[in-house]
Amino acid sequence: MNGPGVPFYLAVAGILFSIGAMGVLLRRSVLIVLLSLELMLNASNLAFVAFSRLFGEMDGQVFALSVMAVAAAEVCVGLGLIVAIARRKHGLDVDTFTELRG
Amino acid sequence: MNVYGAWVCLLAPLAGFVLIMLAGGLITRTQAGILSTLSVFVGFAGALVSFLATVGEDAEHRSELSTAWTWLGAGGFEAGLEILVDPLSLVMMLVVTGVGGLIVLYSTGYMAGDDEERRYFAYMSLFVFSMLMLVQGGNLLLLLVGWGLVGLASYLLIGFHHDRPSAIAAAKKAFVINALGDAIMALGLFLAIAKIGSLDYGAVFEAAESGELSSTTVNLIALGLLGGAAAKSAQIPFHTWLPDAMEGPTPVSALIHAATMVTAGVYLICRTHPVFEAAPRVQHLAAILGLITLLVAGLVALVQWDIKRVIAYSTMSQIGYMFVAAGIGAYGFAMFHLVTHAFFKALLFLAAGLVIHHLNGEQDIRKMGGLRKAMPFTHAVFLIGTLALVGIPPLAGFWSKDAILAATLADDSVLGWLLLAGGLLGAFLTGVYSLRLYFRVFHGESAVAPARGHEAHGHGGEGPRSMTAPVAVLAVLSVVGGLLQVPGLWHVFEDWLHPVAEQLVEPTAGQDWLISAVAVALGVAGILLARSAYNAGREIVADGAARSLLEHKFFFDELYDVTFARPYQAIAEQARVLVEEPVVHGSLERIGPGGQFLGGLVGKLQTGLLRSYALVVTAGAVILAIVFLVLR
Repeated sequence: MNGPGVPFYLAVAGILFSIGAMGVLLRRSVLIVLLSLELMLNASNLAFVAFSRLFGEMDGQVFALSVMAVAAAEVCVGLGLIVAIARRKHGLDVDTFTELRG
Repeated sequence: MNVYGAWVCLLAPLAGFVLIMLAGGLITRTQAGILSTLSVFVGFAGALVSFLATVGEDAEHRSELSTAWTWLGAGGFEAGLEILVDPLSLVMMLVVTGVGGLIVLYSTGYMAGDDEERRYFAYMSLFVFSMLMLVQGGNLLLLLVGWGLVGLASYLLIGFHHDRPSAIAAAKKAFVINALGDAIMALGLFLAIAKIGSLDYGAVFEAAESGELSSTTVNLIALGLLGGAAAKSAQIPFHTWLPDAMEGPTPVSALIHAATMVTAGVYLICRTHPVFEAAPRVQHLAAILGLITLLVAGLVALVQWDIKRVIAYSTMSQIGYMFVAAGIGAYGFAMFHLVTHAFFKALLFLAAGLVIHHLNGEQDIRKMGGLRKAMPFTHAVFLIGTLALVGIPPLAGFWSKDAILAATLADDSVLGWLLLAGGLLGAFLTGVYSLRLYFRVFHGESAVAPARGHEAHGHGGEGPRSMTAPVAVLAVLSVVGGLLQVPGLWHVFEDWLHPVAEQLVEPTAGQDWLISAVAVALGVAGILLARSAYNAGREIVADGAARSLLEHKFFFDELYDVTFARPYQAIAEQARVLVEEPVVHGSLERIGPGGQFLGGLVGKLQTGLLRSYALVVTAGAVILAIVFLVLR
């Protein structure tokens, strides 16, 4: 079993997750926010698989597969919503979506 | 055999009630009446079978307890769902279902055309069931169940005309006073459970007779029972509800407030006589209450104008006689008077119902008169009922009332003499007020024209056959019912009850005939007085202070109003001002604005900005991560 050790995979996962989180927090375009969310999901997938490798069990990989399935479904719904909102009146700027202010 | 008959007797009216209630609009009103009548007569058949089976037994083996199942148990206390079939309960079963059946049959005619007949007949069946529960209950707890249920049925039926405010008020009054009696009785029973550990008749009687209980305990238990009995039987000081209860339909007055329910107190004293014998002072108190009631009711009846109220006061007065008898230990005579009273008082009420029916609901005797010619049949039966009530031989009331008076003579104590004097005075009063009523209604000029449209009912315009037939049967019973017991010749009734309730006093035949002569003379004197007063066209109690006192019924209602109702209202008013308005109402008023205020605070957090939410989530995750790292 050659190649980089598990800590490297985890480091990459951490970096990806942070980039995704920053994207969600800082970017204003809804599309980019959604994309960043996907990035975070995939970072966690990477961590799952790495741990799966580390402990030699299949649970993590099963988890990763189901996360992918959920992510795919979520993107479908999310994109649909974004298209609907954008068409209705707003643009793609999240800061203009303030209908739910209390 | 006797037990099965008794169960049928108990359950048939219940089945009638449930069926009518469940069927609702599926059956017509007439069918509901028929169903109710049938259910009560099936009960009568059951009682008759049970009675005949019991007659075949020896005197010693006539008592049988039948337990369906253990109804409730708590610690060492157990009470079964059980019925007691013995000579005493059989007498009551026969009276309740027999007279009850006749009255329900009468109701099918009397209530015809009422919008809510189904409800009426359902309640009637419920009442008969409750009353049977009361008399058949095999322990004091079941008796109390029946006691409460008859109060409920009475409440429902007094308030049957729920669109009349006076009927509603009367129903409430009856219910409250009866509930008071129930509560007093329940307290006595609690004490019995605490001290004896059982409410079975056998166990309670044994404990009372053995003298192992302290005299205070026995007195308190007996007082509790007496309180319940006095409230149910409308004896002073709990009597004020009965005259008002006449707001109910007339057959209800006949069944509940004359023949059966109000006599339950007498039944209770006879049933639990060992307890009362162990507490003789309480038993004498019962006799004194009865004496006061019979005199007060007799006097008040002299000035009443409502045909039903006069009869109601006479009912109170007659139950007073029964209490006198039960109070000196003449249980057989008390029950005998109960039975004959059921016959002639039901007869009087039903005949009064015929009059009211004929006059389209008129109850004021000032507006009646001259009905003798228009209603010959009613006139005849009413006269029979009146004379039976006064105690003219050979009608039923003569034998039973004079037996009670003779027993007071045989008691031969100061109390006995007092009771005798009061009882004789009561006999005189009975003659006066009964005949005053009779003359007012049936003699003289016709004051109101008979209502049109009733001629079509047949029987000379006196009512349909379903009404006149039960009245005729009761009239026959009122004539011959007293022959169960003829002093000096035979005493079937007393012997029948002997195994259950042995008499403490036994008048000799000589005493009996002597008292009879005096009582009849007094009754006739009363009749003559009423007649001369009527012929002279004046009232018996002329205007003045005495009349005012009687018209206000000795100010009992006013007294209770001042001592109980007003203070209670004042307390309630204070509670409203001091507690309800500031605390209950005020807090409710502040809950709404308070919630809105808090909601506004939380609402400020909802900026609607997606990125601020994301920031909060992230910050939370970061804080959690730090906490975990630090705490590790």
